[in-house]
Amino acid sequence: MSASPEAPVIALEGLTVGFGGAPVLDGIDLELRPREIFGVVGETGAGKSVLARAILGQLPPGGRIEAGRILLEGRPIDALDAPQAARYRGGRVALIGTNAKALLDPVARVGDQIGRVLRAHGKPDGRTDRRSVRDRAVALMREVGINDPERRARAYPHELSGGMAQRIVIAMALAGEPEVLLADDATLGLDATVQAQVLERLVERSRERGLSVLLITHDLGIVRHYCDRLAVMRGGRLVEVSEVSRFMAHPADGYSRDLLAAARARPALQPPRKSDDRPPIVDVRDLTMHFQVPGSPQPIRAVDGISFSVAPGETLALVGESGSGKTTAGQCLLRLLDNTDGRIVFDGRDITDMKEAAFRPLRRHMQMVFQEPYVALNPRRRVRDLLAEPLALVEPMTGAERGRRVAELLAAVNLDAAVADIRPGELTAGEQKRVGIARALATKPRFVVFDEPTTALDIRVRAQIIDLIRGLQSSMNLAALFITHDLNSVRSLAHRVAVMHLGKILEQGETRAIFESPREDYTRKLLAAELPIDAETSEPASAGSAA
Amino acid sequence: MARRSSSLLRPGLLIGLALLAVQFVAIVFAPWIAPFSPIEANPLDSLQPPNLVHWLGTDELGMDIFSRIVFATRVNLLIGFAAVALSLAIGVPVGVLVGYYRGLGGALVMRFFDFIQSFPVFVLGMALVAVLGQEIWSVVIVLCMLFVPMFARIVRAEVLSLRERPFIAAARCSGANDFAIMFRHILPNAMTPVIVQVSVSIGMAILLTAGLSFIGAGVRLPSPEWGLMVSSGAQQMILGIWWVALFPGLAIVFSVLSFALLSDEAQRLADTARRKEGAR
Amino acid sequence: MPIREFWRRQPRLLRILAVRLALIVPQMFGVTLVAFLLIRLLPGDPARLILGNFATDESIALYRQKLGLDKDVWTQFAIYLDNVLHGDLGTSPFTSKPIIEDLADRAPATLELILYAVIFTVGLGILIAVVSVVRRGSAFDWGARAYGFAAGAIPDFWVALLLVFFLYTVLGWAPAPFGRMDLMLAPPPRITGFLTIDALFAGDWEAFRSAAGRLILPVATITIVNAGAVTKMTHSVFSEIWDAPFVAHMRACGVPERQIIRAALRNSLPPIISVSSFILGFLLGAAVLVETIFSWGGLGQYAVQAVINSDYAALQGFVLVASAFILIVYSIADILYEIVDPRIRT
Repeated sequence: MSASPEAPVIALEGLTVGFGGAPVLDGIDLELRPREIFGVVGETGAGKSVLARAILGQLPPGGRIEAGRILLEGRPIDALDAPQAARYRGGRVALIGTNAKALLDPVARVGDQIGRVLRAHGKPDGRTDRRSVRDRAVALMREVGINDPERRARAYPHELSGGMAQRIVIAMALAGEPEVLLADDATLGLDATVQAQVLERLVERSRERGLSVLLITHDLGIVRHYCDRLAVMRGGRLVEVSEVSRFMAHPADGYSRDLLAAARARPALQPPRKSDDRPPIVDVRDLTMHFQVPGSPQPIRAVDGISFSVAPGETLALVGESGSGKTTAGQCLLRLLDNTDGRIVFDGRDITDMKEAAFRPLRRHMQMVFQEPYVALNPRRRVRDLLAEPLALVEPMTGAERGRRVAELLAAVNLDAAVADIRPGELTAGEQKRVGIARALATKPRFVVFDEPTTALDIRVRAQIIDLIRGLQSSMNLAALFITHDLNSVRSLAHRVAVMHLGKILEQGETRAIFESPREDYTRKLLAAELPIDAETSEPASAGSAA
Repeated sequence: MARRSSSLLRPGLLIGLALLAVQFVAIVFAPWIAPFSPIEANPLDSLQPPNLVHWLGTDELGMDIFSRIVFATRVNLLIGFAAVALSLAIGVPVGVLVGYYRGLGGALVMRFFDFIQSFPVFVLGMALVAVLGQEIWSVVIVLCMLFVPMFARIVRAEVLSLRERPFIAAARCSGANDFAIMFRHILPNAMTPVIVQVSVSIGMAILLTAGLSFIGAGVRLPSPEWGLMVSSGAQQMILGIWWVALFPGLAIVFSVLSFALLSDEAQRLADTARRKEGAR
Repeated sequence: MPIREFWRRQPRLLRILAVRLALIVPQMFGVTLVAFLLIRLLPGDPARLILGNFATDESIALYRQKLGLDKDVWTQFAIYLDNVLHGDLGTSPFTSKPIIEDLADRAPATLELILYAVIFTVGLGILIAVVSVVRRGSAFDWGARAYGFAAGAIPDFWVALLLVFFLYTVLGWAPAPFGRMDLMLAPPPRITGFLTIDALFAGDWEAFRSAAGRLILPVATITIVNAGAVTKMTHSVFSEIWDAPFVAHMRACGVPERQIIRAALRNSLPPIISVSSFILGFLLGAAVLVETIFSWGGLGQYAVQAVINSDYAALQGFVLVASAFILIVYSIADILYEIVDPRIRT
């Protein structure tokens, strides 16, 4: 897909946007050509979202264009006359945002929401009677891959899954028949298999209609698979603009190279541990956790009879998509939830029915690193207090001893000692993650549950956290349950893998065996949904067209 | 950061603090500020318009309105502070417990609160004061019956959402017991809306006290109390004698306004803090 | 679970109604219990309290028997409940009429006042809030915020007096603050009990003008004082929704601003319903003050008289009726709330 010499649909000339302080976008020059899919990659805070908002002429409060201009087919967008300006948003350029559920009106039926956009732009053919608008909305829903659109059109957003809501948002974007789509991290937070389906459908429709797409993402895998050209963004500037294939082979800029290297990191698989005859440190039999839902006779079977064990020093990865019950299983292990059925044996003792007071002394041996880096730390307490709290489980300590331990812990997770005196809100996501890890390790536990330790982190930070855990694992001889959906981190950390789906473990085995010769269809689908950036598996997953 | 320092200079806060300072001066120095006794009737000076001797005029009984307004600050603010302090002391722990242990007991307590709150505020107050007698403490108890459920409800709502937050589970993993979780981890995070409400409640207390006294179900004559003073001028107002009711009413407005301004400022600070916490 | 299945198949509206109606019964029971206990908790002999200080010993003895005071508390409550169910709330020693009749005579006056007041209060409050959110940062917004703020600090009885002083005593624009209608006019035949509506039915323009005129000051008082609270509350709900991602998304899709305002207002509806019902309930109590000032002759004034006269039977009756009214208002609000918010499971 070489660059065509056609005039660009959208062109940015030295676009600079600021919020009073330093510019958030700093002299951006960019051309979006007809029918091209253009990726914009960058880490959190690079200014990617502001870029999309600026093109749409909808900057967040306080933001304004300080220099440069935005051209639509060669004409500055602030020179559009009134009717043209009214058509611009949604009719020429449409936005597909992140977290689709928040983008839909919670008290209106989704079909009507698509209808509002159709009416606003006089589609279809300027007819705005109920009937033709509804028919058109249903047709759009079918087009973006929604089954049974007539019925779904009458649903409210809260009745839809995340992937379904995202499709509705795409339908709303297509409703005004625009020439340009801005997809701002449109599949963030969706499960890998769903993400693949939604992206596939989005790209397919755009190619069919001949749209230009600006695909904003932090995932180089997505760019590699769907885009023709890309720009790497950092600190409000474009550090590199290039053809995707050329970029993958020879990134020109130093930062781009780092980014690519971190995304590519495929450390050698953990070698299988030598089996010894020591008894497992954690042994779980038929663990079951059902939740009663008010108003529904059927309980939710979050965890439905799973069995596994972890040997001392071993890491078992529990892999699955959201809703598979993997986090619930981890919380049952630490007695944060009272499991409905099954036994949990820790170090030879059955802890299933232990009272909290009896179990508390055991907590020093089993700890957890919580999923969301920020919400798992009490915002009102200093890092020092957060790290000192679990130390009370070990033995009485003097203030000085405690201070020394806190300093040691911070050093162990590569944090500066000054961090002790600040509150979690002032830390970056990666630092918060490290504090969470330090807190779990404070009592020198023998078994740790890592709940999604790498989600919501930028590529480079993710690589650093994986390195950190890997180092701690070998230096402390930890046994760990590693809960994740990030297959890349599984490869580098886990000795064995258990694949979980809808509350059950479908298969488990050595990491290499699972990755190289999965037995179950679901495992294969999960592995296929990963969008690797290496060239040998360049064909994207074709799961999308099946749904 | 730059915004926080400028927020200290906001005009709303300055006015609020200034009004509050005036009230505290009135409370402490009332006997030295007031030129006349607040409770001595002087029929010869009845219903004098504002003049150089009686700055704000006199009422039907010839009592000096300015002196009464100054002394009434003690009564009105005492009732407000006492009611809110007592309600905090009861309502906050109840809210924490009811929110943390969601059992039958908690449900019953909340039903009971629903119940009290579903009575018309004023009628409940009148009936209770009629039962308990027209004393300052009766008014305080009436106000507590309104505020305890309010504070408990606010705290409970916060606790209900906080207890599901992962940092609570993390604290439990770190060995915190129920008591530590409730009062060290949850309560400090639940206090922001309570603090905002405290100031509003003092204002509400002043308004309700005045209202109760106005219809004769609160503090009794000759005690100086703003609502009672407005009430004693109500009949004359229609005849064009405006000063008896006007000035004590203004005192109520300024007093309630000062607390409202403070609470607004507290809310603003809480919002910025929350935005900062949520920004990550 | 056949019953569950049957239940789930019923229309949502029917399920909401059934649940709420089923809840009203125990709540009414509770209200009655509290009204009963109110008198029982008073120190002294309830019969003497109710009949007053001038009652003869015989009449007290007779009354003690009627109340069942020689029996245990629960029997007494059963007797009271039975009386209430038969519409017997006792007799007031001051008006010497059955209390239920006294209340029925006065209820329309209060209801007419607070219904008009609620309509104006809520309407004005929402209007101010929406305009100030949509024109954020404008002079109107500043004015609205200052008003929302100050209104909460003004005692209603004082506003009423100021309005009377300026609009009646000084300017003479408003009619006198004595009752619901000019005493010189014959009231229209009673149909609804609302003088404005009855006058219209009767085609009596003069009566209508007089009744509507007399409503101006009290309704204005209540609106001025309470619309601020509605504004404040609607403002916070509406502005949060106005900043929600879905509103920005509608704008990004090119949906016209009028439509966006409508959608945002539709989203703010549940809390607005709650606050309106709360205001309606609150006014029943707060109208006590306004009624007193305007000699309105409604329930509120009746209650004040009861307190002043230590007429406990009347007070008990009023508490019962007022609480029942508020209960019904809240139940209706709950039903509406669930209907307008599809996210609530039933």
